[in-house]
Amino acid sequence: MARYGMALDYKSCINCKACESACKEENGILLGADKHRIWVGVPEMEGIFPNLSIGSSSYAPSQCQQCDNAPCQEVCPTNATYYDDNGVVRVNPEQCILCTYCMQACPYDARYIDDRTMTVDKCNFCSDTRLINGETTTACQATCPTKVRIFGDLDDPNSEISQVLRDREHYSLKTHLGTKPKLYYLT
Amino acid sequence: MKTEISRRRFLQGSAALTVVAVSGAATALIEKEEHDKVASFGLRKTQWSDKLTEVPTLCEMCVNKCAAIARVEDGVITKLNPNPLFPKSRNMLCARGNAGIQALEDPDRLKYPLIRVGKRGEGKFKRVTWDEAYEHIKNKMVKILDEEKDNRSTIGYCAGEGMAEHTYVSFMQDKIGSSNFVNHATICLTTTIAGYTLTLGGYGQADLENAEYVIMAGANRAEAIVTPDTMDMFKRTKGRGAKLVVIDPRFTNTASHADKWLPIEVGTDLAFVLALTHVAISEGLYNKKFTQENMSDFEAYKKHILDKNYTPEWAEKITGIKANEIREVARDFMAHAPRSIYYQGRRTAWSFQDFQVRRAQAIFTAMGGGVDKKGGILFGKKLELGKHEIPSPSYFNAEPRIEKDKAAVVGTSGSWIAWRNTIIDGTAPYPVRAFFAYKQNPMLSVPNTSKTRQMLEKMDLVVVIDTMPSDTVMMADVVLPESHYLEREDPVKTFGGSEPSIALRKKVVDAKYDTKPVIEMMRELGEKLAKPLFEISKKYDEELQELIEDAQDEGGEEKVYKQEGYDLAEGYKHSQETINHHMVTSVYGEEAWKTLREKGIFYPDMDKYFKKKSVNTYQYYPEHKKSYSVIKGELDVEPYHDTCVDTKEIGVLKKEFRTATSKIACALYNLEKKKGVDAMPTWREELYTPTPQGRFRFITGRHGQFTQSGTSNNALLLDLMDENYLWINKRVAQEKGINFGDNIEVKSSIGAIQIKAYPTEKIGPNVVFFIHGFGAESSELTLAHHKGANDNMIIEDHYEKSFGSAAMHETIVDIRRV
Ligand code: SF4
Ligand code: SF4
Ligand code: SF4
Ligand code: SF4
Repeated sequence: MARYGMALDYKSCINCKACESACKEENGILLGADKHRIWVGVPEMEGIFPNLSIGSSSYAPSQCQQCDNAPCQEVCPTNATYYDDNGVVRVNPEQCILCTYCMQACPYDARYIDDRTMTVDKCNFCSDTRLINGETTTACQATCPTKVRIFGDLDDPNSEISQVLRDREHYSLKTHLGTKPKLYYLT
Repeated sequence: MKTEISRRRFLQGSAALTVVAVSGAATALIEKEEHDKVASFGLRKTQWSDKLTEVPTLCEMCVNKCAAIARVEDGVITKLNPNPLFPKSRNMLCARGNAGIQALEDPDRLKYPLIRVGKRGEGKFKRVTWDEAYEHIKNKMVKILDEEKDNRSTIGYCAGEGMAEHTYVSFMQDKIGSSNFVNHATICLTTTIAGYTLTLGGYGQADLENAEYVIMAGANRAEAIVTPDTMDMFKRTKGRGAKLVVIDPRFTNTASHADKWLPIEVGTDLAFVLALTHVAISEGLYNKKFTQENMSDFEAYKKHILDKNYTPEWAEKITGIKANEIREVARDFMAHAPRSIYYQGRRTAWSFQDFQVRRAQAIFTAMGGGVDKKGGILFGKKLELGKHEIPSPSYFNAEPRIEKDKAAVVGTSGSWIAWRNTIIDGTAPYPVRAFFAYKQNPMLSVPNTSKTRQMLEKMDLVVVIDTMPSDTVMMADVVLPESHYLEREDPVKTFGGSEPSIALRKKVVDAKYDTKPVIEMMRELGEKLAKPLFEISKKYDEELQELIEDAQDEGGEEKVYKQEGYDLAEGYKHSQETINHHMVTSVYGEEAWKTLREKGIFYPDMDKYFKKKSVNTYQYYPEHKKSYSVIKGELDVEPYHDTCVDTKEIGVLKKEFRTATSKIACALYNLEKKKGVDAMPTWREELYTPTPQGRFRFITGRHGQFTQSGTSNNALLLDLMDENYLWINKRVAQEKGINFGDNIEVKSSIGAIQIKAYPTEKIGPNVVFFIHGFGAESSELTLAHHKGANDNMIIEDHYEKSFGSAAMHETIVDIRRV
């Protein structure tokens, strides 16, 4: 039993998309540019050549926020979306009926449809591929050249993620919605 | 919320994707015929059965050779993970590294030897046995060499970068005996290697882990990944320890990490560096002690810079960069020195003045004292490996290379463009009649594709060794399929630097098809060719005839054949594993070999030094064991620790042109005297053409999801970026009525291509850009075929005249919507 979360040193991101490839390989995600559990947000560049705003061009690596209070779970009529013992929001494809309510409910656009199973899929912190087999990092974290991600147990005060969140300022996304995300962006 | 976070892909970096368009294109193709089984592309979850093994190896999706650990189940690779033990790759695999599985599983791979049956370039081949392929090569070579009276140089050959490259080059150079090698260096890094080596004594390694101020000009390390530079740099940008100034006509992913981005007029870098130097000199900002002790002719250089009046105001007019910006950069650089680096860069085949740009950068860095010092340019150490000698015969009738006079200094690796052009313009002193290519795709990689085609068409024999049916493979007579990097063991390699180590690419899975590693091809081809070619030498080579005469009493011909290295298979007879074993154990013993095979990496005391520091980071060497400052007395350092450059060749260069060898050279008087190349960096107005009003300068570049043209058929990578787009300034596009996705014709004096438009403010009004590597013609590349455009169809074949390095950014183009 743990409560997994992820801190992102997003300033280190170079938008190389290694994380996206690694996630696909590890989790057997369908090929296709719109099939992915993880992505990098790139804002529109502000300014006019040659006066561009460098600050406006920061990359925003993202994936499912693993909300503690997940709207996707709330709306799921079959309980296909559920919290597992580690606080990870998971989808059970056996129970998913592709009503897509969760996709509409998710404020972070974290879900997509797996055309093979015709069910909804999203990041599960590599629970069934890595964590269950004793790995302590996620595929996206392990492969990243600049080591953007720190994954770990938020309930363990000695874990690196807990320490980092104590020591460094951070923010989460759309907190006003009360979703209580467990992805933390380090500033 | 600070930035937009959405799974929608924006037009970004080098990619311009829209979800709908791309998913349609990519999946439609994948579902086609052979590409029907998604599973065949290797997107397979690991089953974690008891059959699972983990095998350490090295990535070959680009030149960096990152350490990987392959998970193998039932002979199938299900995942590639980073191997944390390798100091150079710092526990990472990029997108391409992850997609190595798709490269291995690509149904389009070359699967068996082929011989052409149709017209050259038509793409019609028949499957043959290896012996038939060798036999074909032998018959042609015997005929050609007989007709050319044993002038071995009639066989030309090229190579792309790779760990097995040396095996192939040694065979062609030392065994076959041809001087006509064209390395890929002159379409890549020749000028920076030569510039830094002749100036500092070595190319060195930029210590981006400790530098406080870095100028990156043109080098786009966030996209053109170089290890460990990319990882070291971008963990410390954005106010976290290292200031980064990016000089680039485009706003790249690297620029988005910069403290200052200065778009420069293409081709004017030299003026910028000279002006920085002028500021440092006129304001007395340089390190006086260091320059006095370590630099030769610095006083003369100072005088030169001041006399020429290379002021920031002068440079502003040329570069478009404001004089006050130049002053600020020079002052900041020197304020942070010696932890300041003008980054060497890698591909520096841009303009006619590239060599002098790199010289000026190196001198400027040295003026701050940042050479052989922590946070500066380091030379580090290299762990020795045992020797694997290959005896080489000398061929009396082998002529010197054909383009040796086409640039001031043309070394053993040649000048690609000059060499090719010499063949087709009729100025060659003798005919080059055969051409071998290994792991290079000159049809896409060398400026002016149609001239490369003409060159290949002139050949009596074209042999191509590769893993994929590239455009160059389509021009071949004989195709020898190489085993994929995950299917073979390569020569063990030592990686120098402040944290040196030895790494091994070990075979992970058995070859899927009838393919071979290069060493086996050289062995078998050697066996096939040795005697017949020896007969030809006997017929024409007077020295050989004499040797045989002299040896008449003690074995005669047979003895000469053996002793002088005419047995062409000699040196390739053992397996790669046996050779590697010898190279490692002869220096470090059996224990080291065991470690290397089990872990993929070895360096002395690794067991003591290597430590996990946090969930993501590792210590390779304790701080006091890192090799930051290594020079004691003579400045005699390894030029470069990579396979891209021939160390012997650089050694010759240094010996010939560096006079005060123990110092950093501000002036290269020997180079001027012997070769007419400016002794000191000097701006040459006549070598620079400003972009005419209303027209555009074309520039090209690399990025992080594809490596040149080699990965263009990779299904997983095509998910990330499906084709290349033309960057054009948004306002210019608006004036011309060009919208995103419109088809644009880009036309230069040598050709025209069509490509989709990407209007953006990230590029200036007189420049257009698209990335290199797309636009394959080969219909055997199911996914890459006719995707995007080939830059070398329009890049004119200019080269600079110091080293014969391509000047790829000297092409002016016109554009129109079609
Ligand atoms: S792997 Fe790391 S640097 Fe690359 S895109 Fe993902 S988060 Fe960014
Ligand atoms: S981010 Fe979306 S999918 Fe993930 S837990 Fe929150 S609401 Fe559910
Ligand atoms: S944690 Fe695992 S499942 Fe989630 S995005 Fe990363 S790699 Fe994919
Ligand atoms: S940088 Fe990427 S492609 Fe190159 S060797 Fe490393 S993992 Fe492979």
